[in-house]
Amino acid sequence: MRALRRLMRDRALVTGTVIVSALVLAAIFATPLANFPSHVTGFDPAFRLKPPGEVFWLGTDRMGADLYSRLLFGARLTILISVTATLVAVLIGVPMGLIAGYFDRWYSDLLMRISDVFLAVPQIVLAIAIAQTLGPAIQNVILALSATYWPFWARIVYAETRSLRNEVFIEAAIAMGASPLRVMVLHVLPSIASSIIVRTTIGMGATILAAASLGFLGLGAPPPTPEWGRMIAESREFLPQAWWYATAPGIAILLVVMGFNLLGDGLRDAIDPRIRRGS
Amino acid sequence: MRLLALALRRFLWMPPTLLGLTLIVFSVSHVIPSDPARVLAGENAPQEQVEALRRKYGLDKPLPQQFVRYVTDVVSGNMGVSLYTQRPVATDLVERLPATFELALFAITLAVLIGLPLGVVSALYRNTWLDHGVRLVTIAGLAMAAFWLAILLQLLFSMQWNLTPVQGRIDGWGPDPITGFYTVDALIRGDIETFLTSLRYLFLPMITLAIPAMATIVRFTRAGVLNVMNSNFVFYQAAMGLPRRVVIWKYILRAALIGTLTQIGLVFGNLLAGAVVVETVFSWPGLGTYAYNSILQSDYNAIMGFTLFTGSVFIGMNLLVDIAQAVLDPRGR
Amino acid sequence: MSQSFGSFGRRGALAGGTALSLFGASAEAAGRTRYITANNNPYDILDPHQVFDIGRIAIRLNMYDALVRWVDNPPKLEMWLAEKVDISADGLVYTFTLRPGVKFHDGSPLTADDVVYSMERILGIKKGAYGLFADVVKPGTTKAVDPRTVRFTLNKPFAVFQAVLSELWVVNAKVVKSHEKDGDWGAEWLTRNEAGSGGYRLRRFDPAIGFQAERFEGHFMPFGKGAVDDADFRVSMETATRVLGMIKGEFTTTDGYMPAEQVQRMKESGNVWFKEAESIRTFYFIMNHAKAPMNDVNLRRAISCMFDYEGFNNNILGGTVVRNPGIIPNPMWGAPKDLKGYSYDIDKAKWYLAQVKEKLRTIQIGAMAGYPQSEQAAQMLQAGAAKAGLDIKVVAEPYTTIAPKLDDPERAHDLVPLWRSAYFADPHNWTGFLFNSKNFKSGNASFYKNPRIDELTDAALVITDQEKRRPLYEEVSRILVEDAVGLFVNNTKFYGPYGKGVKSVRFCPIGDTQDLRWIEMNT
Repeated sequence: MRALRRLMRDRALVTGTVIVSALVLAAIFATPLANFPSHVTGFDPAFRLKPPGEVFWLGTDRMGADLYSRLLFGARLTILISVTATLVAVLIGVPMGLIAGYFDRWYSDLLMRISDVFLAVPQIVLAIAIAQTLGPAIQNVILALSATYWPFWARIVYAETRSLRNEVFIEAAIAMGASPLRVMVLHVLPSIASSIIVRTTIGMGATILAAASLGFLGLGAPPPTPEWGRMIAESREFLPQAWWYATAPGIAILLVVMGFNLLGDGLRDAIDPRIRRGS
Repeated sequence: MRLLALALRRFLWMPPTLLGLTLIVFSVSHVIPSDPARVLAGENAPQEQVEALRRKYGLDKPLPQQFVRYVTDVVSGNMGVSLYTQRPVATDLVERLPATFELALFAITLAVLIGLPLGVVSALYRNTWLDHGVRLVTIAGLAMAAFWLAILLQLLFSMQWNLTPVQGRIDGWGPDPITGFYTVDALIRGDIETFLTSLRYLFLPMITLAIPAMATIVRFTRAGVLNVMNSNFVFYQAAMGLPRRVVIWKYILRAALIGTLTQIGLVFGNLLAGAVVVETVFSWPGLGTYAYNSILQSDYNAIMGFTLFTGSVFIGMNLLVDIAQAVLDPRGR
Repeated sequence: MSQSFGSFGRRGALAGGTALSLFGASAEAAGRTRYITANNNPYDILDPHQVFDIGRIAIRLNMYDALVRWVDNPPKLEMWLAEKVDISADGLVYTFTLRPGVKFHDGSPLTADDVVYSMERILGIKKGAYGLFADVVKPGTTKAVDPRTVRFTLNKPFAVFQAVLSELWVVNAKVVKSHEKDGDWGAEWLTRNEAGSGGYRLRRFDPAIGFQAERFEGHFMPFGKGAVDDADFRVSMETATRVLGMIKGEFTTTDGYMPAEQVQRMKESGNVWFKEAESIRTFYFIMNHAKAPMNDVNLRRAISCMFDYEGFNNNILGGTVVRNPGIIPNPMWGAPKDLKGYSYDIDKAKWYLAQVKEKLRTIQIGAMAGYPQSEQAAQMLQAGAAKAGLDIKVVAEPYTTIAPKLDDPERAHDLVPLWRSAYFADPHNWTGFLFNSKNFKSGNASFYKNPRIDELTDAALVITDQEKRRPLYEEVSRILVEDAVGLFVNNTKFYGPYGKGVKSVRFCPIGDTQDLRWIEMNT
């Protein structure tokens, strides 16, 4: 029974790792892997909307560009957006959560109330509003996502820090005269790192989904950027004939997000077996 | 007593939170390099006409002044006029509300009806092929882009098999509103045909919204049931010689369901968020499309009205969840 | 039922007084003809003086009348509410005699006072078509000589005055005045209600759904056999929905500018027939002359040689458009028949590029998000420019963001691909309006200033004889191409889809076939 559970758990971890590595490899080796590396910006209007076949493995788009090649280059963009946006969110959220959780002053409550304000409305609505304000561009998508997603990290770090504060080893460190910064960075942070890593991995999936939604709504990178969400939006005008046009990028998103979620689940079990598995 | 204090505290925090929210959305929407007066005036309008509109809507005032004016107006019950529909924002919101709520309620009902049993079965038959299958579905359900799922469903159900409409809420004009829920209104009138038509329109957006919600419910239920099953308490009951069936039905399910029930509020909140994108794909005339269109049109008052409204619903929902949790499961506090 | 209307205010308006809840069912039972239009633009404002666009033109064409009206292709201006017009020799005073016996939908007679009020209202609320009149008609100068005679006194000659009068929609002054609130000219009320005399009168309106109208039997112009009885205008944004609705027969018609694939799909279904016509709607790239190096004619010429016209018009758009070398649409008078535009020629582009004196930089295209053709054209130009060695960046922004920038030379994009539709069928619509330097910040989004163009377009507005104006506009067209003022791509073809119930339609570029009175149904 235990072995079986372990296997299941590891299977999630393995599948997640495989998918995420595949994404990274696709992004790195997009140029040699692509059949038509020039189709990031180039195209051939004579071959517009061709179904999948020998030359165009996943068919072509409305301009006559190879979808398979564009998906590969889209992987780069996906990684760029999700990693940067998540990183920025972590850099805002974690310090805020640490400070608010470690100290018990007026600003602790204030900081958490500020994060509550951001959580009081659907993240996607705020992100849409910010992205629309700043104009459609990759860096604005990143900004919109990190500005709306940081409270998740603030919350989790806050809760964990709070529960740690009365632990013996923390109190001991304080008694030894360690400065608050030292305690936070050297004692608290390592203890909650696993939660942050798990949360970040799953957060990557959420960021990819949100970025794709922004792209789909026309608030992401402009054409001809091979952004997956945008590609799905473009396809709508040609449905149902050009079914491949909508299907291929959607499957890419599905797989990648699934990969990050599985990886997150797997990591959580591997790092911290005390937390019972959700599914 | 603690419960009351908690509720009161949460309640008191609501106005400042909403004020903060207003400030954020106000700042975001007002630094827009876009110019609603220009848009409103139309593409052939001369400059002077644009200026006149700007004055009319107070868009020429300094931003802090505009903000103070907006907040005072809202406090006195006036959410302003939508620049685009030229009607009071409150009227617009009230008019759009039933469409979104009808959709959300149908979706959550479906999600619960399928998600709860699946979660329980998945836990009871842990690590069988059934459990694995269910888990695969939930993992995929949470990883799917809602807009893509929507398009996929349209592609299959509407365009390929011709079973459901591609988008919209009803053939042209719905029944005259009693509750604003087309299905309910049709039933009240005994109009079976309209009832069935509105169900057909509801079908695809409902499924699109229900799938991620269902996946969440399955996860929570499964975890909850497993949790109870592994607890000493159940072990003790079983040791007391109670039949497994009784233990399952009486203790495990009860405890698990209570846990899940408290999650439904949060799931419902997420559902409203998902509605923004899903409604846009299905042209569902609810709050989601309203929000999306107002953002595109830089319709300040409408954006803020929507945000305030959803913010209140969200906070209220969280409050209810907390209370429910405290009432149903005192150990959790 | 009345309670339910009131409590939620859900149905914005129920005009005409007779409240029939099951419009569709009862209408069909009575054997009435029904015509359902699926529109890709929301009908949010019913007021004919607040909007001036093509997307919502069905409201104005069907529920309101003007003194004159455009019909057929090429468009002819016909007397409509007016019977005749006298124009003073200096071209300043226009005296119209109204048709006798015209009635508003509430049964009251339409008089010269209503025309006067409508003109004052346009000048007062300063929206919609205001820009057409603002320069030449001052408030208080329009007079009702007697109930059937109205006199406009212009402050300068304006050759297209009659042509733009097609946008002076006459509203029922008494009704609108009774709904005025704080000097708003009844704008709030008329946004959701109707007070016209047109061939159809409003039954029902919901900005999220559209509007319904029924034939107005009291209209002065008799309806033909098989005329539409009940009209339903619905908003349906998604192309696939409109196509499917056409194939299934749920819609009678929809927009006539679909992608070639969808036109093909509807044709193959056998349930839809098409009316084809060359419209007057040119697709072009606005160029912003205010910012270097776009002020350099050789760069503009180079760019004009970087666009694959063939590939775009014939492959991407599947031949649903016609190459239009200049700004004035080919079928319109004033477009020179022998005008030779630019063609796709990378070598020539490189040659022109070498002549550019200004310092080159990355050129930016502001494509209209949500308008695939605008985005595709931007990509097309970008790819061509890359081959010729010019760096072009594309940003896609909603029209609402692009539009205000068009007023500001500093913020405006270097290139914006968009359409110029026909608001009135006169070459001025595509020339003076767009390129006369007086129209900076209103029509001239290119910030192009050429004294010769100003002179020609001004002169053409003072003369009233079309044959004398023609050579002026032809010269304007040639200069615009010579100077590569914009990148002129194509003229749109109209492929109007109709359900089997429709027998014949009458196309006019102003409003396509949305003027329902010309539709004949099979009975």
